[in-house]
Amino acid sequence: MLNQYNEEELDDVVDLKSGVVGRLMRALKPYWPQMLLAIIGIASVSYMDAYYTVLNKRIIDEGIVARNLPVMIGLFRNYAVVVLAQTVGFFLMIFIIGRLGEQLRYDFRKKLFHHLQNLSLSYFSKTPLGWIMSRVTSDTEKMADLLTWGVLDTVWAVTNISFAVFFMLQLNAALAVIVIISLPVMIFVSFKFRVKIYHHYRQSRKANSKMTASLNENITGVRIVKALRREAKNLDDFKVLSTNMYQESYRAVLLSAIYLPTIQTISAISLVLILWRGGLQVAGGAITIGVLQAFISYIMMILWPIQDLARVYAEMQNAIASSERVFSLLDMQPEIRNRENLLPVDSLAGDVEFEDVSFHYEDDEPVIKNLSFHIPQGQTVALVGTTGGGKTTIVNLLCRFYEPSSGVIRIAGHDYTQYPLEDIQSRIGVVLQVPHLFSGSIRDNLRYGRLDASDEEIEQAAKLAGAHDFITSFEKAYDQDVGEGGNQLSVGQKQLVSIARALLAEPDIFVMDEATSSVDTLTEALIQKGMHQLMSGRTSFIIAHRLSTIKSADLIMVIEDGQIIEKGNHKSLMRNKGHYYNLYTKQFRHDLETKYDLFADQEPDASAA
Amino acid sequence: MSKQKEPYIPLDMPRVLGSKNKLLSLWHLMRGYHFHYLVSTVFLALAAFARTGMYVFLGTFIDRMMNEGLMGPELTLSALTFGSLIALQALSSFMSSWMANFTAENSTRRLRDYLFDHIQRLSYSYHSESKTGDLLERATSDVDTLRRFFAEQAIGVGRIVMIFIISFIAIARINLRLALFSIIIIPIVLAISIVFFKRLSKAYEAYQEQGAVLTTDLQENLSGVRVVKAFARQDYEIEKFDKENAEKFRLGRKFNWMHALFWPLSDIICSAQTIGSNFYAATMVINGVMTLGDFISFHGLLGWLIWPIRNLGRLIIDTSRALVSFGRISVVLQAPEEDMTAATYQPEGAIKGQICFDQVSFAYEKDYLVLDDVSFACEAGQVVALLGSTGSGKTSLVNLLPRFYDVTSGQILLDGVNLNEYSREFLRSQIGIVEQEPFLFSCSIRDNITYGVHREVSQEEIEEAAREAAIHEVILGFKNGYDTLVGERGVTLSGGQKQRLAIARTLLINPRILILDDSTSSVDMETEVQIRAALDSLMNNRTTFIIAHRIQSIMNADLILVFDKGKIVQMGEHEVLLNQDGIYKDIYDIQARIDSALQEEIDRVESI
Repeated sequence: MLNQYNEEELDDVVDLKSGVVGRLMRALKPYWPQMLLAIIGIASVSYMDAYYTVLNKRIIDEGIVARNLPVMIGLFRNYAVVVLAQTVGFFLMIFIIGRLGEQLRYDFRKKLFHHLQNLSLSYFSKTPLGWIMSRVTSDTEKMADLLTWGVLDTVWAVTNISFAVFFMLQLNAALAVIVIISLPVMIFVSFKFRVKIYHHYRQSRKANSKMTASLNENITGVRIVKALRREAKNLDDFKVLSTNMYQESYRAVLLSAIYLPTIQTISAISLVLILWRGGLQVAGGAITIGVLQAFISYIMMILWPIQDLARVYAEMQNAIASSERVFSLLDMQPEIRNRENLLPVDSLAGDVEFEDVSFHYEDDEPVIKNLSFHIPQGQTVALVGTTGGGKTTIVNLLCRFYEPSSGVIRIAGHDYTQYPLEDIQSRIGVVLQVPHLFSGSIRDNLRYGRLDASDEEIEQAAKLAGAHDFITSFEKAYDQDVGEGGNQLSVGQKQLVSIARALLAEPDIFVMDEATSSVDTLTEALIQKGMHQLMSGRTSFIIAHRLSTIKSADLIMVIEDGQIIEKGNHKSLMRNKGHYYNLYTKQFRHDLETKYDLFADQEPDASAA
Repeated sequence: MSKQKEPYIPLDMPRVLGSKNKLLSLWHLMRGYHFHYLVSTVFLALAAFARTGMYVFLGTFIDRMMNEGLMGPELTLSALTFGSLIALQALSSFMSSWMANFTAENSTRRLRDYLFDHIQRLSYSYHSESKTGDLLERATSDVDTLRRFFAEQAIGVGRIVMIFIISFIAIARINLRLALFSIIIIPIVLAISIVFFKRLSKAYEAYQEQGAVLTTDLQENLSGVRVVKAFARQDYEIEKFDKENAEKFRLGRKFNWMHALFWPLSDIICSAQTIGSNFYAATMVINGVMTLGDFISFHGLLGWLIWPIRNLGRLIIDTSRALVSFGRISVVLQAPEEDMTAATYQPEGAIKGQICFDQVSFAYEKDYLVLDDVSFACEAGQVVALLGSTGSGKTSLVNLLPRFYDVTSGQILLDGVNLNEYSREFLRSQIGIVEQEPFLFSCSIRDNITYGVHREVSQEEIEEAAREAAIHEVILGFKNGYDTLVGERGVTLSGGQKQRLAIARTLLINPRILILDDSTSSVDMETEVQIRAALDSLMNNRTTFIIAHRIQSIMNADLILVFDKGKIVQMGEHEVLLNQDGIYKDIYDIQARIDSALQEEIDRVESI
């Protein structure tokens, strides 16, 4: 299953009948005037390219050989006009098609991003982030390139060859036949070469990424490498990778080095024939020097469109494979969607009820088994139990990130699938264990809770959450940048910000996954205070690790193996001397040991150097 | 190229780094391939000659045909000569390109290998001060920039210059005035091209940077998908992304605009020259100053004189980039490697493990002592527990033993001999380290266990070690057993499991001295007991330094060192320290207080 997401193993074999090409072409539909203009432009440019040779021929024959200065001046004037016209065409063509390329990239990215926002959480939990990123960043580039420069280069190459052949036939059919016969040979050889070169080039890219990964690992793990004296062995291992990279890369460049000379040599054969046959005819007076010169020019020039054609051909397959992956992403339907006949809601204040809820991911073992409970409005529930027991899944179900595989979840009296998804999610406030902040200022991050909140309201929320003091201790206070993913803030600070953010949203239900990592005592107290602000008057679900949280909860549910194994308040559960008792005493010990900083050493202090 | 021996001649790094001129350094990087590169240059010249010769020959061919008329065998011979010149040109181009690429690929492969080894042999402190991404960038993309320099730019500049000179000479032989007239625009085109490519590379960088912004934005959005959904902020996110996306669109258009301007503009200038020169030449033919054949030669040569200049700007800009890349690489290369083998004392066989710290001080930076006048001694096989808060110097102390760092003042004696007299290589072979959460490599579990065991190990031996480290059952639980891959492509192990793998590995290595971080992060009781047993068997008969996290390991230690701000504040056995006022007694008391607090708590619940 992992392999399908492995960038290195991605397949380039495409079924052209799958309609992917047609679908790709449809992306051009809104831009058909530009595309048409560009194609007409490139065809004219390509016509003029071929026409120069005809002009040159006439300059030689009618001007120079005939020693006719006025005619020659006229021809040169024509030449200049054609150059000007072609330059204008050339400019327009680069301008239009380059711009269109950027436009398409923009469109594809926008469309993908938009689509991604609607996909369900389940999609993201089973698809590696890197895979999705590659679709949006690199595949869209390849698609746009194929649709713009790919199409244009093809049109240019085909028309250029055709016009050249057309003029050659007009100039001298017998000589033209020699060229026409050599053309397929050159095209065939070119295609073969290009495909091979591209293959090795891609292989070398793969080898390169393996090599980089190995280097990366060796730098990250350098402490172990040194301690275990693995340097020599690691270098040997690396050499295997670098040799592989060398071989693939070398093959690619060697083939490239052979390629052009090879088709030049093939063209040399037709040149020899032309010179020989043409020479005879010139001597016999059948053709002029100008015609001979024109043929020589054509043969030399025709190599360029052939090369371009072969290059586009080699890269096309990969670009189409990219499109196929992008389309497969676009075709992905969100698993959780709004039902019909929705009940609009202003508030989710009310009881929360799970009735016989079971849940499993795809066809796996059930993670939640026949879970039933009823929480009256305003109560606080603490979920405790070992990791992997199903606590997170329960809150994910409650937030409707997932929906039950069977059973019903009721909020305020109705099956929650009757509500609009957006309403549920915006009425439930969530604080995650590892709070996620977005890069930008603290203010931006707080405002995420309610987009139309005023600066006063933001500060108010921060004060309530106990975040105001540390925020104002920053140089720029609320405008302080939090860094990528909020990395400039400590875990505790991030948590305070995310609590304030949730407060600002004024949710009806509050869900929190308490952090396991220890924060300093002061911050911890602030977090507790902030949580109480959020919990008051709201139905709250806390995945609890802090004893104070657990003890003050109205209801404690011990979750193991997807089921509730114990339920009650602190006192009753303690008296039971069951699972809860064990968990509690262990946690108690741990907390106090941490509190007194007994053996505090969370990280090796060498890195502090 | 046999597989047994090194596929290349080693680099002469002192010469590379010792050269004053960067281009000279790059030349030394090609050591062993200088001949190939020269051959490449010779063929480059040959190709240019052949190409020029082709046009000159075409001219004489036409003149002869016009004047005396070529017939029969002479014509055939001429046609064949012409074809041979093209073939020679093609062959020479191939040879030149082949040799240049051969040099480039081989030189850079050697440089990559060298850098890999160099980086892993850089000192510990170098690594703690540098960023992985930055080192990686220098060892990969900067090296690739050099590869392109060897293969494309150096040769490309040579090619263009050579073609220009030879074509110019050939034209000058036909008519000097015509030749001079034909290069009027060259300085203009060259100047425009340099300015353009310089600006283009800036615009391209901006475009790429915006691409990175967009990628970051996307990544944040995807990794924060739960937050986005929790606040139902999809529209807001779309708007935000669109802003950056539109900015990239704008930069792309700007970039495109520059292309759309440069190429046609340079086209016009070059075409003007072409038309002018051709017209000039054509009138000369009409006036009888030049022959028709000369005109046709000239016509062909002119293209090679003018058009390639447009690309010269790009090559020059790229060359300056290659020099920057080399500068970045040479900074890494200049950093000194750790000397692994230098030793003035080499014991016979293994060490015993008696250790003495004699007034040891250590500082990472000047004036800030991390260890301050530390003195203590322990016998072979004893257990030394290190206690103290974060930053008190415990880890720094154990880092001195394998000579990851050397003492700033004082001395450490191992079996009575100064530690600095042993080679690092030897010391590290005698010391085993089990970290709190060891770094594992993305290879199989088996390879991770045998990582750094410098001998052949049988499967039985591996399994025995794994059993002793209480990890065997866990491993068998994986689908592929010992062949299961660790990391992104395989299983993710918990901190405790990683630690037990490291214990198994250390058992196989069988070192005389052990450095141990004895924390057991959240594992259940049963596993904790197993790990405890595994650690005990590991410590058996080895001098052990424990960075202590639990009271058990302290109570049984032969020597307890209590650290505060780099100094030993208390030292002795458990019983002794317990009877002193100080940190140790405080800690112990707290432990006792926790027990009674817990009991109180339980009693309170019971009583209500």
